[in-house]
Amino acid sequence: MTDSGLPTSEHLEHLETDTIADLLENLLPAPEAHRAREHVKACPDCQLTYDALLQLSEDLADEGRSDIPMPADVAEHLDAVISAEAVRRASTVGVHSLAQIREEPHRHIPKLLGAAAAVVLIAAVGVGVVMATKDRAGENVANTNPTAILPTGVVSLTTAQIAPQVQQTLEGSSGVVLNASANEVSCAKSFAATRPNPEVRLVQPARIDGTRATILGLQGGSPRDIQVFVLTGCDAGGTTGTSIYDTTVTLRNR
Amino acid sequence: MTAHLDSGTNPPAQLPRIGQHDPVAQQVPVLQHGGYDQLDDHELLRLHVAGNPDTFGFLVKRHRDRMWAVAIRTLGEPEEAADALQEAFISAFRRADSFRGDAKVTTWLHRIVVNACLDRIRRRQVRQADPLPEDEDRAAELAGPVEQDAAEVRERRLDVLNALKQINPDQRSALVLVDMEGYSIEEAASILGCAPGTVKSRCARGRARLLPLLRQWQTTRGGDSDLQDKASETAAGIMGTE
Repeated sequence: MTDSGLPTSEHLEHLETDTIADLLENLLPAPEAHRAREHVKACPDCQLTYDALLQLSEDLADEGRSDIPMPADVAEHLDAVISAEAVRRASTVGVHSLAQIREEPHRHIPKLLGAAAAVVLIAAVGVGVVMATKDRAGENVANTNPTAILPTGVVSLTTAQIAPQVQQTLEGSSGVVLNASANEVSCAKSFAATRPNPEVRLVQPARIDGTRATILGLQGGSPRDIQVFVLTGCDAGGTTGTSIYDTTVTLRNR
Repeated sequence: MTAHLDSGTNPPAQLPRIGQHDPVAQQVPVLQHGGYDQLDDHELLRLHVAGNPDTFGFLVKRHRDRMWAVAIRTLGEPEEAADALQEAFISAFRRADSFRGDAKVTTWLHRIVVNACLDRIRRRQVRQADPLPEDEDRAAELAGPVEQDAAEVRERRLDVLNALKQINPDQRSALVLVDMEGYSIEEAASILGCAPGTVKSRCARGRARLLPLLRQWQTTRGGDSDLQDKASETAAGIMGTE
């Protein structure tokens, strides 16, 4: 059947599918490729496999062109996460995109508030990651930008979530994040003054496992280390904070 | 396999579809800024970088079904795919200013999603060598909400997803990139961090593994005789050049 004296297909074992697939990708060394090609020509079964493999690539490409609808719960959760990220960015926008805010204040500020509203809405749906917020914009202290209205509020966290939350907040910011009222910030700063390194990076009102507290982040020994304290007594006009929990967080990319 | 899913006849009201104005969705305040659907991807991303808090979410909504397809095909598990997409979109959100305007936004996003998926595969490979066990109920959910597609489209999608889950993750990643997502061998090699020859080999072996798993799908689509006819034509075309 063949010109080179090779046995005909009846006498030859079928090629492995792997071999035929390799042939299609030009992965076989020349002599082996030649033999395989001759065999496929002569052997209807292997010919079928050869063509089925070609067809498979086409079918996969076909299938690959179609989208797959994201399940509703996944989509909702993703929306919530993106909204939370937008609010987180907005809360540090005084540092991040001050220039744009100054350029177009009318355009941005209503949308920042819109994002804050979105988070309240989403939190109502019960997404764990998202901060449960109360609108306390009037009490905010914007440390760098008097025109930015910071969406803020009391973040509800478990103890285990404190470190990741601090990390996430500070990794998105190149400066100081003060999300609390002037009084709460001042109380936290008094506590900071008692520490060896009183440089404040974060003051965040929080509810930790149901207890109203203040998360204080201080600059640690290295630029990437943040010492975290959870204080009670700084909310509701208190002036003396007591640490009920502390940990250290190491920031990435900084 | 999917019959039990067809019992729910009412589509979930909160499922916003691109290009479809759902009256329920329009009552949600976050969407009331309006007008974003008129903007192209570049413009949405530009506004996001300029500080707009809404446009990135809009971009995500526009492309999430495409990105979900990539993630679920590459990872096989809905939880993993959801986590990978979340990581990818947050990463894209934060580094949107590094996007070069001459590329397509979808290409950029796609690449970030693919990388997030591959990261997860690598981490999973470190944790455990074996793939997770097959679960019929969860498998059905891979194919997405019931109401949107014809039964045969879902069936085919499920067959492909289930077959992909059964092959080795390296072969699967290569096949998804090259055969399903249309990356060139060189692009796939650069994404996967291996030599082009390795990508070719993984694709070849992956196809050889997939073939028996999907052969029924192939024959029912074309019919045996069809396939045979087509086979001879293609063979003549390809082999004849030698």
